[in-house]
Amino acid sequence: MKKLLVILIVLALALPAFAQVTFRITNGSEPASVDPHLISGVPEHRVYLALFEGLTIPDPSGKAVGGAAESWSVSADNMTWTFKLRKGNVWSDGVPITATTVVKSWLRCLNPDTAAEYASIIKDIIKGAKEYNEGTGKPEDVAIKAVDDFTFQFKTIAPAPYVLSMLIHYGFAIVPIHVIEKWGKEWVLPEHFVSNGAYVLKEWKPNDRLVVVKNPKYWDAKNVKVDQVIYYPSDNLATTYAMYINGEADWNANSPPPDKVIEAKKRSDYIRVAEFGSYYYEFNIQKPPFNDVRVRKAFSMAVDRNELVEKVTMSGEMPATGFTPPTEGFTPTKGIGEDVEQAKKLLADAGYPGGKNFPKVTILYNTSARHKSIAEYFQQRWEQNLGVKVELFNQEFATYLQTRKDGKMGGFDLARAGWIADYADPNTFLFMFLSNNEDFNDPRWNNPKYDELVRKANAMQPGAERMKVFQDAEKLLIDQDHVVMPIYWYVTQNFIDLKKWGGWATNSLDQHALKFIYKK
Amino acid sequence: MTKYIIRRFLGLIPTLFIIMTLSFFIIRVAPGGPFSREKSIPKLVLQNILKKYHMDEPMWKQYGRYMLDVLRGDLGPSYRYHDRDVNYLVFGSLPDSMVLGLMALLLALVLGIGTGIVSATRQNTWVDYTTMGFAVIGISIPLFVIGPILMFVFALKLKWFPTSGWFMADASWKTAVMPVVTLTFPYFAYIARLSRASILEVLRSDYVRTAQAKGLRPSVIMFKHILKGAMLPVVSFLGPAFANIVTGSIVVETIFRVPGLGNVFIQSAQNRDYTMIMGTVIVYSVILLLMNFIVDIVYGFMDPRISYR
Amino acid sequence: MAASAVEPRANGAIDQFGVPIRGVSLWLDAWRRLKRNRMALVGLGVVIAYSILALLAPVLPIYSYKHQVLDHQYMPPSLTKTAGQILYERRQNELLEAAKASGRVELTDQERQELADYRTKLANETTVLDGKTIKVNERRYILGTDSLGRDVLARIIYGSRVSISIGLVGTLTAVLLGVIVGSLAGYIGGTFDYLAMRFVDVLYGLPYMLLVIIFMAIFGRNIINLFVSLAIVSWLTEARVVRGQIISLKNSEFVQAARVVGASTGRIIFRHLIPSTLGVIVVFATLQVPSFILLESFLSFLGLGVQAPMSSWGSLVRDGVDGMDNYPWMLFFPALTMTIFLFSMNFLGDGLRDALDPQSKNKL
Repeated sequence: MKKLLVILIVLALALPAFAQVTFRITNGSEPASVDPHLISGVPEHRVYLALFEGLTIPDPSGKAVGGAAESWSVSADNMTWTFKLRKGNVWSDGVPITATTVVKSWLRCLNPDTAAEYASIIKDIIKGAKEYNEGTGKPEDVAIKAVDDFTFQFKTIAPAPYVLSMLIHYGFAIVPIHVIEKWGKEWVLPEHFVSNGAYVLKEWKPNDRLVVVKNPKYWDAKNVKVDQVIYYPSDNLATTYAMYINGEADWNANSPPPDKVIEAKKRSDYIRVAEFGSYYYEFNIQKPPFNDVRVRKAFSMAVDRNELVEKVTMSGEMPATGFTPPTEGFTPTKGIGEDVEQAKKLLADAGYPGGKNFPKVTILYNTSARHKSIAEYFQQRWEQNLGVKVELFNQEFATYLQTRKDGKMGGFDLARAGWIADYADPNTFLFMFLSNNEDFNDPRWNNPKYDELVRKANAMQPGAERMKVFQDAEKLLIDQDHVVMPIYWYVTQNFIDLKKWGGWATNSLDQHALKFIYKK
Repeated sequence: MTKYIIRRFLGLIPTLFIIMTLSFFIIRVAPGGPFSREKSIPKLVLQNILKKYHMDEPMWKQYGRYMLDVLRGDLGPSYRYHDRDVNYLVFGSLPDSMVLGLMALLLALVLGIGTGIVSATRQNTWVDYTTMGFAVIGISIPLFVIGPILMFVFALKLKWFPTSGWFMADASWKTAVMPVVTLTFPYFAYIARLSRASILEVLRSDYVRTAQAKGLRPSVIMFKHILKGAMLPVVSFLGPAFANIVTGSIVVETIFRVPGLGNVFIQSAQNRDYTMIMGTVIVYSVILLLMNFIVDIVYGFMDPRISYR
Repeated sequence: MAASAVEPRANGAIDQFGVPIRGVSLWLDAWRRLKRNRMALVGLGVVIAYSILALLAPVLPIYSYKHQVLDHQYMPPSLTKTAGQILYERRQNELLEAAKASGRVELTDQERQELADYRTKLANETTVLDGKTIKVNERRYILGTDSLGRDVLARIIYGSRVSISIGLVGTLTAVLLGVIVGSLAGYIGGTFDYLAMRFVDVLYGLPYMLLVIIFMAIFGRNIINLFVSLAIVSWLTEARVVRGQIISLKNSEFVQAARVVGASTGRIIFRHLIPSTLGVIVVFATLQVPSFILLESFLSFLGLGVQAPMSSWGSLVRDGVDGMDNYPWMLFFPALTMTIFLFSMNFLGDGLRDALDPQSKNKL
């Protein structure tokens, strides 16, 4: 009898271990690929963070901690980094991961034939990378090398203190070269797939689900508490919200539909955190009326961003005074502020007292309920406060991008734009307005002093001085020339019940490595 | 008649060819491309990408290359979904759309023709008005309203069905109900009204009066005589309707997360995924042309008054 | 209208009941029959009423359709209470809830004072609209407001201008093109029919969304382009349906009779065949009106169609869907308005179908 009891108790204690834990995510649009070198979006990034590990990975707070590497050091000039890889770390098929694997992986990303979109992230940092990727250099000249099987070293172009957080990015992914060489393009199919992360790919039906299961050969497998993760792709905010509140998903990475924000805010599982991103309107400085800085400033000052954020968008965004959002060590400029009387005066000075004779101006935005509401709000404010007529135009996304970036902003006077940072440094915002940066400088602003400041900052050592130079640059962009009108700084919006799930925390880059998640 | 059938069938090929050629150039003329990104891809990296997809070649060369591939049955790689090719994506999602579409169409036919008969035989009575009322609702309330209403009532409130998903992709059969019912509405409406109008016309015709004079039972008259003639407009409507419904309703598939061709098509149009768009255009056109062809033949059999020169 | 517009034939022919046979045209006969159909008249009345309201929108005593009063976001519809009263009651409820949560049943004196102050503030609050200062909280929103505090009733009425014109113009274009092409193809047959139908097939097959995007890129975004974009696809099904009908009627006796008498092709088609198919044409046309209204909403997704802040029924319905459980009026009233209009069009269409049926000629 006693024996039976013991057996029953042991079974009862062991039972929870038998129940499979599944974590379900509604993940935005259908991922373009699981090959880390062929992706470029946020949904793909979320899948990447389950399947693969770079040298570093983000811990729940967003800080870079050891992934495939267990320790690292940097030279005195901050430009040579040495990483020690984990000994005994293997791929999910048992093949060892060595420093040579890392070298080959990064070279694959840079290889022009791979045509990786995010080769740029390596190019910007690693010495010799740009030349190889652009065809003017050889792979041997890229400053990365395997010192021995478990020691990996690279040289940067300039001191880059944020390099550890950059290594989280999939551009720096470590990929199973041996599998890619064997299967070519088909290495990503579930039957051939191999990865080094906490999970491996099990099943993928496009537009329905992507399923990953625990990788038994992962170096930290014993600490991975979730057995299976299912990603459901959908861009439809209403559907993903419904799925979440109906208990069909554990983490909804999409924002709620605009009309559900008020209801969502009452829920404790609606989590918002300042994100390192900026929402703004670009001015067309090439033609009247916005070629006059006074008019630009007048428009920017004649609105109430607090009201916009509280009554129109309502998701807890921060009204923006400067262009670059605040980050560690960097405080954005206070900008030119809001002052309706002053705005009216500026407009009068520019030759349009009370809005008389002011030409009709146009705002371009991409189709979305939120952008529309925001534009409608500004339209009314400008009409009320300045007496000007504004017309709104929407275009579907690809058309809108093409129009905005054609060098003349498609003839529109204002264009809505948004930018989310790839890594935590002001450069990722301010480099956009360098005069030779045709890809991003839509207004085609040309200020040699600004160029000089930004370039100078990029060559400096990390620290308060460097940040000050960036701040000076931003003052030129916003306080002086006011090339763009900052509106608000982004918030990440997620739905997840943190009373039920642990290992998921808010961080401003909104990166969550799946290995840390556990059911409470 | 046989000559007509053969001539018509052969004619499908040049039509398809014209559609493909026009589409090929249309989609490339539209602003934007498969690699437009908010974070523009740096020029030199972009060059590599274009080279990989042969997009740096002159247009006519790309066209020739593409058409030859299609003849070999290869619809090419997707410009956006790098892990899969178009054949897999298109033919993998087609069955889901077809099942959804066929179920909805069948339901719409049964309900629609039934309602049409009932309304026509009781013209201008309250039965007529209410049934036609339902039909009007079916067309005037758009799918993107009906779907969420059904989802709200039956999934969130009553909890009878899951909010979304599709049974053919490994979920319960319950996921089929709401998408099918939603999609049925507009087709039911069209079929009901077309049937009613057409039956009313036929009811007044001579050969029906003859049958009535002969003393045949009303049900015999209806099914043996009237319906054959009255179904013609429904049949002509069915041609394109079948093609549309079977290649996926974008709205229903997006709302209920059905992994069908409609979903794939709208994404590929927005992503400017050229090969995917061409793939869906080809599938849609083939089905459409076939259906119109079948409808034309069926005409000949259904209505003895028709003869093809 | 009836008797006076129609003269008895000069030769004094009479029918079997001894009543003089009145010679009538198809249309007069149809109008007489239509008048008798009560539902059709109701439908016609509603359509006319809608059109008048739409035309008169700028002079109607309604609030602005585009002026935002952000404090009045998401107000529920109310026939009796003013906006101020509703806001006051909301605040009162909030305070009572908070009181209940901390165990009290009544409000403190401080809270009562706060409410009184709030009431005064609401009563005196003003805003400037078109140069006039108005007491904004005295407004009564009969159908509620939307997410930016705009009056739903006004937006529906202004929206009807867009939607009705699109619905009618679009349908007329589709019917005209469809009937002409379909009937010619059906009657003439042969190679002409073959080529015409292949042309229809090609247009069906092309990717519509991209076609419209290109149109917009080339021709810009104006009202003409909107109608063209609507027209290119809409006439196709109509053409096929009409062609089908014509083919089946082509060899019937009355057509043969007309041919024997020497009528030209055009006359046969337009005076004989089409009237016989009018029933199906009319019904199909009325079925298409809603699809135009909704097509406009799809086109506005691409940027063609009405621009914010102007509304159309399609855009109102689309904007209202997501909030349907918390703010049902934003969806319900535009959808109801649209449905009533379409119901009326359908009854009118049915009535027209009955009235125009040549086999009902001289019948009651």
